[in-house]
Amino acid sequence: MRKILQISLCVVLASSLSFASEQFAMSNADRAMYEELMENNPADMMLSNGSELLDALGGDAALAKYLGLSEDELPVYLAGFPRYIEKFKMVVSIDQMLQAFMHESGKKPYALKSSDMFDMSSYVKSIANEQPINIDIEANEHMKKAYALGKEVFNTRRGGRGLSCYNCHNPGVVGGILRTQPLPDISAKGNASAATWPAYRMTKSKLATLQKRFQGCMQNALLAVIPLGSPEMTALEVYFTHEAKGAVIALPGLKR
Amino acid sequence: MSKRKTLIKVKPNKYKNGDIVKVSFMVMHPMETGLRKDKTTGKFIPAEYIKNVKFEYNGKVFTNMNIWETLSVNPVLTTYMKVDGEGVLKVTFTDNEGAVEESSQKIKPKG
Amino acid sequence: MQRRDFLRGLSVAAASAVVVTPSVSFAADEKPKGSNALSYKEALAAVTGSKTPEVSKKIALKVPEIAENGAVVPVTVEVDHPMNEDDYVKSIHVFATKNGNSRCVDAHLSPANGKAMLSTRVKLGETQEVAALVELSNGTFLISSQSVKVTIGGCG
Ligand code: HEC
Repeated sequence: MRKILQISLCVVLASSLSFASEQFAMSNADRAMYEELMENNPADMMLSNGSELLDALGGDAALAKYLGLSEDELPVYLAGFPRYIEKFKMVVSIDQMLQAFMHESGKKPYALKSSDMFDMSSYVKSIANEQPINIDIEANEHMKKAYALGKEVFNTRRGGRGLSCYNCHNPGVVGGILRTQPLPDISAKGNASAATWPAYRMTKSKLATLQKRFQGCMQNALLAVIPLGSPEMTALEVYFTHEAKGAVIALPGLKR
Repeated sequence: MSKRKTLIKVKPNKYKNGDIVKVSFMVMHPMETGLRKDKTTGKFIPAEYIKNVKFEYNGKVFTNMNIWETLSVNPVLTTYMKVDGEGVLKVTFTDNEGAVEESSQKIKPKG
Repeated sequence: MQRRDFLRGLSVAAASAVVVTPSVSFAADEKPKGSNALSYKEALAAVTGSKTPEVSKKIALKVPEIAENGAVVPVTVEVDHPMNEDDYVKSIHVFATKNGNSRCVDAHLSPANGKAMLSTRVKLGETQEVAALVELSNGTFLISSQSVKVTIGGCG
């Protein structure tokens, strides 16, 4: 009951967004307070757990070796995910690459939606901290296709309300306020989602990956929820990551 | 020793004797109020929270906090500490069932 | 076997529609009272005894005017007062005046802190005042409070 009510309110408001100067906007002082919370991000504990989980598999060194890299090359390489990996014959995100790595190391891979996988893949992505996102959608046909598919998923109106991601995430509405929340600018000029997720979600008290965050929006905007790791989901991550290309990776993020 | 994941942060990273530093302690803990229902069973989830956090430096308690389930999940607590020689910063926390855990960090002033 | 999750994850198409099960919590059952329930008035009296705290500008209570979400509301209390052996801030107490249990933290301090400050994050069930009560080593109580508007946030 409650949930549906909230959603319909959201949708009604989506068509009559108020802009930053209006009453529901948060003050700069408030925003500064929330930014200060970053100093002590609970996700630091989860990434530290992720680092221990990777250590059990041989740590950064073993991962680099598995990827055919030196440890020094790891950060730049990881800043380019999702990638097409010849070995898998497909475009994969970091978590899927880690599943294959675990399999290869003779371990049972963590499920994509498990908290251990969130912890470990977030830690692994954080190895690329301070690197600019360097995804290359022109690298090959597979990446080109994934980008095109991601763009299509982003723009397709679906679900009970006929909404697409684009409806709420486009330059025309960025900064509009949907119930105190400014609609985030997902590009490298704004929130650069791909550079700030995985993040700790304060409303859920959990660490979430970018794909998990996509699912949140799908659920609340009444779009069928696309499974983690599906070609469509990975494609959407490719699209978001390309939008934020050049943005410097700073993980873990901290979000509402 | 701590079974729960904890983290102690001292800010700034570099400090010397006489400096007043910020000490933050965080712990992965559900801080269950006892008032939330399990969506699948419809039963109340039992209260589970930390009730005391003690900050100790070289054997002397400098901050002692009683806390309640009203704090956010995965609580974070920050206090100040005056640096006074090399030693150990120890944080001991006790939950509502009386279970005690601790975690610690070395304090090494430069100069 | 091991590859199954990997492969399944990769090959499943986006099909299953999401079913939003309406949990009927609307005309909510009577609110249960937690075992720690204590009103603000009672909690305040329990700390101060019968003394009336003095509203003081020495306390800097920092809370957001509008909370992004009620689950994590930052609270910082700083007290502009010396921390000497014979004159110091003995304790800082934070109350969420309308929570079932209004008590959040009682921080007992000492001169070894150097400065009197407490920072944490609290849950707020609804829009309300957050109060910071301070006890000085000479037995004086000071108080400051600030209202926090708790809203339901945006989508997602
Ligand atoms: C009804 C409007 C709406 C629709 C439709 C929508 N979103 Fe969102 N989205 C939001 C709002 C509002 C926020 C910020 C909410 C908050 O801070 O909690 C957000 C936040 C996000 C974020 C986090 C941004 C950041 O870095 O902080 C991502 C990623 C995202 N949306 C992806 C998507 C995707 C992918 C879709 C399509 C499947 C989508 N959204 C559809 C309203 C929408």
